[in-house]
Amino acid sequence: MSIFSIKDVHKSFTNGEVEEEILKGVNLSLQRGEVTALIGASGSGKSTLLTIAAGLQPASNGQIIFKNENIAAYNQEQTRKIRAKEFGFVFQSSHLVPFLTIEEQLLLMLDVAETTLNKQEQQQEINKMLKTVDLEHRKHAYPSSLSGGEKQRVAIARAIIHQPKILFADEPTANLDSKRSKEVMELIQELTKTLDITTLVVTHDEEMLAYVDHIIKMKDGIVMGQGV
Amino acid sequence: MNIAWKEMKKNKAKFLILGSIVFLISLLTFIISGLANGLSDDNASLIKDLPEGQFYMSEDAEQTYNLSTIDNETQDQILSEHTDSTAFSIQRGFVNDNDDKQHGVVFVTSTDSNLFKNVDSGEIILDRSLKDDGIKVGDTLTNNQFDDTFVVKGFVAQKKYSHSPVAYINTADYKQMYRTEEMQLIFIPDANDSLTFSGLESFSNKAFLQTIPSYSAEQMSLNMIVWFLVVISGMLFAIFFYMMNVQKIGLYGILKAIGVKTSTLFKMMWTQMLVITSIALVLSVLLSQLFNQVAPEGMPFSLSIMTTIQLAIVFFVIGFIGATLSGLQIRKVGPLQAIQQGEV
Repeated sequence: MSIFSIKDVHKSFTNGEVEEEILKGVNLSLQRGEVTALIGASGSGKSTLLTIAAGLQPASNGQIIFKNENIAAYNQEQTRKIRAKEFGFVFQSSHLVPFLTIEEQLLLMLDVAETTLNKQEQQQEINKMLKTVDLEHRKHAYPSSLSGGEKQRVAIARAIIHQPKILFADEPTANLDSKRSKEVMELIQELTKTLDITTLVVTHDEEMLAYVDHIIKMKDGIVMGQGV
Repeated sequence: MNIAWKEMKKNKAKFLILGSIVFLISLLTFIISGLANGLSDDNASLIKDLPEGQFYMSEDAEQTYNLSTIDNETQDQILSEHTDSTAFSIQRGFVNDNDDKQHGVVFVTSTDSNLFKNVDSGEIILDRSLKDDGIKVGDTLTNNQFDDTFVVKGFVAQKKYSHSPVAYINTADYKQMYRTEEMQLIFIPDANDSLTFSGLESFSNKAFLQTIPSYSAEQMSLNMIVWFLVVISGMLFAIFFYMMNVQKIGLYGILKAIGVKTSTLFKMMWTQMLVITSIALVLSVLLSQLFNQVAPEGMPFSLSIMTTIQLAIVFFVIGFIGATLSGLQIRKVGPLQAIQQGEV
C-alpha cells in the first residue's frame, strides 16, 4: 500500500544566468513497511529528490502526497510540524547535538515531536530504543566519545524514537567501513519491518542494496528504472 | 528540555570566556563611572548637594559668578520674599596652619540658612580632607587678606568646589577679606525658571554647574568615556554572539531539520545571554561596590548603587539587542545547510 508518493516533481537551480534543471518530472511511490533505495551516479538528483521529499527544500513544481495531502503546498510551519512528527532523518554524518548525551538526544526528539508520553513512559521508550540499537550501556555518553558506527546507530534511534511514518536516510553508510555499513543497513531494514515504517534511502553502495525491498534508479534528473 | 543550559554546562570554557569579557567590560564601565562621579563631586559637591532650585547672578557677570555682584537692595528684597532663600559667595584663597603651611581652599559664606554652614566671626568650618592634612579642631588659621585669625570649629564631609576643600566663614569676615559689601549669588530652593528678577540671570542647578570653570569639559570627557564603553560593550556582545552563532549554523540547521522551531532557537540564545550577563553583572556590581567601600580616601570615587543598577540595565538591554541582531542569521539558516555542512 502506497503511503507516500511523488508526482511530476521538478527542481531547477539558477546558476548565474543559467537555469539548471536537476529534477525533470520525477514520479515514484513508497510502500508501507518497505525499504526503498534511490541509486544513481553523482549528479543524478537522488539526494535533491530525498531532501525535497523530506520537506527540507521546496520543489519547483509537482506534488508530494502524504496521507492524501499535497505537502509540497504546505507553508513553512506546516512542513516543520510534518518533519517533527511524521518524518525521521538519518544523514550522511550523524549530526548529533554535540552537547547532549545519547539519552538527551532522544529526549530532545520526543520533545520536538510533542510526544504525549509522560516522563516515565518517555524513559521507558528511550531505554527500549537504546536496547534495540544496542547502545543501552552508552546512555550517558556524549557523541564525541562514540565511534562512527555508534553515532549512526544513535542517529537512527533519534530518527525513529518518535515513531515516524517515513524514515529518510541520505547515504547513511557513506562514512562507515564495510562491516559497520552492513550493521547500519541491517538495523534500518529490521526497524522498518518491526516498526512498520516506510524508508527511503539514498545510497551509491551497491552492496547495501541487499538490505532493501525496492530499488529506484535515477539518471540525469529522471527515474530510469525500478526493481525489486 | 533546556538545551540552552545543557550547552552551557557542556561548553563551560566557551561561556566562561564570554562571561569574563562581559564582566571585565562592565566592571571597567562601573569603575570609570565611579571616577566620573567622584571627580564631579570633587569639583562641585558644594553645589550638587543643594536641593533643586534656582541660582541667580547679576546679568552683567555674563555667567561668571566671580564677576557677579548683587546689590543689597535686591538681595534684601528677594530674601524677604523667599524666606528659605540664601545669598552666598564663593572665592578661592589660602589658609596657613600653625606650622605656617599653606592650604588652598574655597571660602564660602552665606546669609543665615540651613543650606550652608553658618559660623561666627573668627570661626571657620573646613572640609574633612583638611583634617587628613593635620588640621585639628581648635587650631588657629591665618590668611594674608584677613586681619584677624580663624579658629577651626569643625569639619564637614565631602564639601568640595573646583577640586578644592570648602572653608565656611562668616559673612563679615568674608567682606573684610575681599573688600566687598555685596554677595555674588542667591539661591532659592524649589524655585523654577519662571521666577525672574530684573538685572539677575537665573540658572537651574544643572545650568549653574556648567558655569563652573572646567566642570562641563571634565564631565563631558568622562561621560564620553563611559558611554563609549557602553557602546563598545554592545558591539562586543553582538560580535561574540555573532561568532558563536556562526559556529553553530550547522547545529541550528540540524535542529531545524528535525523540526525544532526557530523561536526555540532564539529562546536558547536569549537564555544563554541572560544567564551569562546576569552572572557577569552581579559579580561586577558587587566588586565595584566593594571598591567603592575600600577606595583610597584621596581618590575621587563615588558610585551609588542606583547608578550601578542603571548601567546594569543598559548592559542588559544592549546585550539583548546585540544578541538578537546577531541571532537574526538563525532565521536564515535552512535545514539543508546542516546536511551540506558536514559534522556539527
